[in-house]
Formats: sequence, structure tokens, C-alpha cells
Amino acid sequence: MGHGDRVQEFVGAFGGLKAEVQKVIVGYDEVITHVLVGLFAGGHVLLEGVPGLGKTLLIKTLAAGLDFSFSRIQFTPDLMPADIIGTNIILEDAEGRKHFQFQKGPIFAHIRLADEVNRATPKTQSALLEGMQEGNVTVSGASHPLPSPFFVLATQNPIEMEGTYPLPEAQLDRFLFKLRVTYPALEELNEIIDRTTRTREAEVWRVMTGPEVLRFRELVREVPIAAHVRELASLIVMATQAQCEHAPEVVRRFVRYGSSPRGAQALVLGGKVRALAEGRYNVSVEDLHAVARPALRHRIILNFDGEAEGVDVDHLIGQVLEQAEGVSRRGKEVFLR
Amino acid sequence: MAGSDVLERLIGQVRWQIKKRRAEFYGLRGAFYGAIVGLVPLLFKGAVGHIAPIVSLGLVGLGAAAGALHGFALRLSAEDVARVADRAFALRDRVATALEWASRPDRTPLVDLLVADVTARITGLDGRGVVSRIWPRELKLLPVPVFLMVVLALAPSIPLPTGRLPALSPLQDSESPEERAGKVLTDERPKTDKRQPLQHVETLERTLAVRQGSPGGSHPGDLSALFRDTALAAQRPDFNSFLKKGDERLRMLEQVDRLPDLKRDFTQSQYKLLFQKRKALFGGLRPDQLSPQKLRDLLEEMERMGRKGGNWGGDIGEGLEALDAGQTDRALEAMEKALSRMRAMEERGRDGRGLRGGREEDRGGRGRGGGGEMEADFSEGEGLLPGKGRSPNPKGDATERLRAIPYDAGVEGESRSGRKEGYDTNLLGKGASVPSRLQYLGVFGQYRKMMEEAMAREQVPRDYQAQVKEYFDSLEERK
Repeated sequence: MGHGDRVQEFVGAFGGLKAEVQKVIVGYDEVITHVLVGLFAGGHVLLEGVPGLGKTLLIKTLAAGLDFSFSRIQFTPDLMPADIIGTNIILEDAEGRKHFQFQKGPIFAHIRLADEVNRATPKTQSALLEGMQEGNVTVSGASHPLPSPFFVLATQNPIEMEGTYPLPEAQLDRFLFKLRVTYPALEELNEIIDRTTRTREAEVWRVMTGPEVLRFRELVREVPIAAHVRELASLIVMATQAQCEHAPEVVRRFVRYGSSPRGAQALVLGGKVRALAEGRYNVSVEDLHAVARPALRHRIILNFDGEAEGVDVDHLIGQVLEQAEGVSRRGKEVFLR
Repeated sequence: MAGSDVLERLIGQVRWQIKKRRAEFYGLRGAFYGAIVGLVPLLFKGAVGHIAPIVSLGLVGLGAAAGALHGFALRLSAEDVARVADRAFALRDRVATALEWASRPDRTPLVDLLVADVTARITGLDGRGVVSRIWPRELKLLPVPVFLMVVLALAPSIPLPTGRLPALSPLQDSESPEERAGKVLTDERPKTDKRQPLQHVETLERTLAVRQGSPGGSHPGDLSALFRDTALAAQRPDFNSFLKKGDERLRMLEQVDRLPDLKRDFTQSQYKLLFQKRKALFGGLRPDQLSPQKLRDLLEEMERMGRKGGNWGGDIGEGLEALDAGQTDRALEAMEKALSRMRAMEERGRDGRGLRGGREEDRGGRGRGGGGEMEADFSEGEGLLPGKGRSPNPKGDATERLRAIPYDAGVEGESRSGRKEGYDTNLLGKGASVPSRLQYLGVFGQYRKMMEEAMAREQVPRDYQAQVKEYFDSLEERK
């Protein structure tokens, strides 16, 4: 199969999986697209929204559309790391000899839904870290590789902050995207009522397997990116840092820490998946703009003034994009050089 | 690679377009500046002659040609051209990416697909006319020099000043008084002595120094001393300028009341003398090591001075009594108080007018009892902050001990308006004689900073953060 066919196959698979999810989920077109972008970019996705908006349902539907193993963990304050990773148990063989055997936890699944991840203690949250970043977990000195593809989808609730443990910045940074799930529009809500109050629910077909996802991930990384687009990605990330000369005024005033280089990686990888999903063979500036907010909003840490003033990080990223584009365009203007 | 020819053809077309637009842009700029320069020959049309308009037009043309050449010759990379082509044809960076990656050794199979895709998209596109024209700012201003050129070309030539300039220096004036006023008039005037040659500043000072010793040479209000240490002393006396435009020295002479009394020796005041004696008495000793006899002598001397009109007699009496009772600490305290009063009185006497600040009167009007008397020793803003008081102690006077009922003390606060608004917190009771004031804004800023640091450092729930912020905002509104 040639590369052209593989690209067409990817476009079809992307659209097909999205259509399967949309059989159940009404609206949220952008959220679904970004979740799929995260899946094919090889990253993990954090969904944030108030209860009842269908975050968990979205993830479960996605898992149903993929021929993957799926596990769901409801995070609670008394959840322990061993409840996620697994533990060694004593087994007795036929000859009566006892030995330890590692009993795998729910983390050993292709897709793992970490529901209300901010309700668990930091100790338990940190059990996710190694798995998310390294693709394996270590128990009693022995490393156990996680199945591939390994895709963590976590949800968290922005309200009811009492008794929660906000994810530390280091852990947030390991999510490729942070998506905001908002209230549906009126027409969407009507459609939700129609779909969920019928006797027959929509049936989701499995359209993709694990090896196919891995092949598509490799294909995505082959998408070329022009130097000026790559420079724009770097400029966007730099402009989120208050000490950068190109940072807009709002960043200088309200940002304590800007995005890390992982933000630039997320921008470019996300752009590559979007380009390929549209059947394009290159990353464009528009692709970077499309993924900038989900890729950067959890990587920008506001200072006290920003928190107290209630600065919206998405709005701030909008200004960062304008600033970076302006700086880039000034460089591009061929007449004035 | 297949398709690169099409790509390069498109790049070539767009490159030519850009160069053409650049030539237009910089050509118009050059024409503007050429027109500015072209005004010069027209201004000196009389000198240049009838070829002035031609020279002006030539300069305009030369500027335009130079600008166009510069614009055309400016460096233009293929990547820039590709980006312009992408924007012009809405190709979403396909051309730039294909051009960059087509020649790279690490290109992936997707690059070949990209080049093929770009080739298919740009085949049949016309690269001409895709670059929009940009007008320089100077174009709006170009009519101004052109209009001036036309006006100057049609107008008669401007006459240039000829002959020598008038001699402004009186020494170079060759015209004799007889020539100006006639011989008869000059004869009627009394002949004056020949002007004395000007002397150097050192010579002048030496002469003045000699005159000081002579009888009647120096008298109160001798203003010559006023200029000796100023920059004016180095200047040559020019009485013509004195009369014409008014000299700085004249203005100074008009303000007689501002002139200091130079006869008075401020370095040997009563306070200074006593302060030096006090310093010599201490000489690095602790209060318990001081000689009671020497301290008594000093107090008695101060008492003698107080009889001549000072208001520190009571303090000295108290100090002597304390010394008799063997309480050196109290005696020293009384002496310091008396010194403060002496200094305050001297300060009042120095300004000569006894003026008091509005705030001091306000303080007196508040009716805080004994506090008013003490506050009169300090003027606005002085004596309240370290290093700003008039006390010899650099940190200000020590707070008096409250010997009365310990509960006879309290704190009152009131806002103070003025050039720099603030908030006073004052002790009531015995401690009121030593008012304690803190700059409200300074304290508020410190606390606000501490709050912000604590918020940034600690894990504070967001709701609480908002409440704390609101609380500080409400305090800030009272400023």
C-alpha cells in the first residue's frame, strides 16, 4: 500500500471513528476532534467540565469504537497507588511452593478513563506519571510495560473544589491537551433528550484496531512542516513566558510560568494530525491556531493577580497568538526588508 | 523531482512580481526625497541660473531611479517568495513546505505526495498580478514638494543677502564719536578717563581681600561677598547688559529679605557649643561612668543660658534635682530634653519669622493636651522617621517610660489629607507626648506584598483568594 493510500485510509478512519462517536454524543464536534487528535498524536487528554455534560460517555463511546481493552477508574480520596498499578500477591503452586506474582491493575489497558482524577490524593495521582510518560510501571523494582497504544483520558470537575487535590503542574504538563466541555446549545440539548430517552440506544461499531492506530501514529510523524511554521510554534510558546520580549502585556502582568517545550511539541504534533485528517500533507499556520488553546491552556500558570482578576487563559492564548503572528508577519513582509 | 519545474516557474513569476512592486515602492520614496533635494536649486535660482528647474527635475528623476534600483536589487529568498505565493493562492503553506522539503535528504514519502499535490494545484495558475501594490507613506506627502517646486519655478528668484555683515563688536567699530554725533556735540561732553583694562578674577578677589581690613571697607550688607562663590564671579562685568535685559544680580538685590546675615556665626551657636561639650563629656563612656561633677557643671551652664530667655529652665532644674538624688539617667534625660528645646528655639530664631506649618497648628487645635508642646519642636515630616529628626540621637528621642497607670494608654487613628495622604496612629495618655506615626500607604504596600507572596506560595482555595483580594481592595479604597 502506497503512502497516498495510507493517507486516504487515515482520513477515512478518522472520519469513521468520529462518526461512530457522534452517533452517541451530540455536538462537541471540536472536543471529539481534539480527543481523536490526541489519540493519533500519541498523547493523553484531560477533559474538564461540570458534571452531567457527557465527558465519561464520550470516552466510553470512543473506547467502544476502538478494538481496545478499556478500563475505568473512579478516583476517590481513599484510592491507593496499588489500586491502579497492581500489586504482588502470594500464590501457591501445585507443589506447595509459594511465590509472588504481580497482579496487574486497571492501568494495564489500552484506553484508561481516570474519572474525576483530582479527587485522588497526590500520591495516587503520581502513580499515573510514570505510566503516562514512560509507558511502563515499576513495582518492587520490576518494570512492567504497558500495552501499546496506551491512552489516558482523564476528567475533572472545576467546581466542588473542597476535598479535591488539584493536579500538580508536572502532571498537567504530561497531558497533550486539556479540553473544556461546555454546556450544549439548545438544538443540541433537544437532540440529547431525543436520543437518551428512547428505548433503543445507538449502536457503536468498532472501526479501528490497536495496530492500526500505531501505524497511523507513525504516519502522522512523517508529515513535513515548513521552517516558518515551526518557528511560529516556537514563538507562540515563547510568548507565553512573561520574560520573553515578544510576550504581550497581559502575559507580562498575569503569568507566573509559561508553557514548557512540551507545549511546542503538542502544537506541532496536533497540527500534523489535523493536517493529515484533512488530507493535507503539510502543517499550516491555521493548524497551529486550531490546537493552540487545548495544547497550551494547562501549561500556563497564572500568578496571584491573574487568579484574583479571573483572567481567562483562553483569552490570554488568543492574545499570544495575535502577538506571535504579528511578529512572524513582520518578518515575512518582504517589502519592508 | 517531478513537479519542481512547475514549482520553480511559479516561484520565478512571483519573484518578478515582488521585485517589480519593490521597485515601485522604493522608486516613489526616492522621488519624494529627490523632490525635497530638488527644492534647493530652485531656492537659489538666482545663483544657479535658468537651468535650476532642469536640475530639480533631474534630482527627482535621480531619486526615483535610485529608489527603484535599490528596491529591485534587494535580497529576496525563495522561502519568502513561496510564502507570498501561499498567501496569494490560499495554499496553506503548501508551496513553502514543498520547496523547503523537496531538496532535503531526509524527506519522507509524504513530501513527494506534497510536491505532487502542490504541482496539481498550481498548474494553470497565473503568478502575475498576485502581489498587491503597497504605497509608501511618502506618497501622500509627495504633492507638497512638487507644489513648492512649481511655485519656486514660476516665482522670481529670491534675492540673496549681499555685502558684509554689520560689525557687532564695539572694539571693531571704526566709526569715531565725531562721525556719529558731530564734533560740536562731543566737545560739549566732559572727557572721561581712559577705560581701565579688565582685571582677572584673582586680581579682583585680592583687591577685595585687602579692602576688608581697611576702615569702612566692610559693612553689614556688603553685597560683594554674595557673588564671590558663585559662577557670576567669573563673569566679566558688562553694564550694558545690566541695563538692557536685567541681570540676575539685580534680581537678587531686589530680594533683600532673602539675603542671609553674614555677620552672624552660625557655627558657634549656643546649641552647638553645648552639644560639643556634651559630646566631650560622654567621650565614649557609658552613662554610669560619667563624672557627676562635670555633668552638674554642664547643667548649670545650661541653666545660666536659660535665664536669658530660654524655656528649658524647668528641664534643667529637674535634671539637677535628679543628680542630687543620684539618678544620673534622669539627669541625662533632662539634659537631652533641654538641648532639644534649645535647638528648636534656635531654629525658630534662624528663620526670623517664627512661621509655623499649617499642620502644627492643626495638631495644636486637636486638643491633645501635653502633646502639643512637644510637637512644636518638630516641623512637617521631621522627627517622625529615623534620621529626619532634630534630635542629636539619629534614631530620634527614645519613647518615654509610662510611669503612671499602665492602662493610661491607647491608640487613636485618623486619616490625614494633604500632598501625601496618610493615616496617623497616635498614642493616648502618657505616651501621647511621643506620637507614633506610620505611613499608612507604606505599611499597606508591605502587607499587600506579603499577602500576594503568601497567596502565590501557599495552596489557598480560590474562593478564599477572592475574599482576601476584596478585603485588600476595600482597604485600598480608603487611601
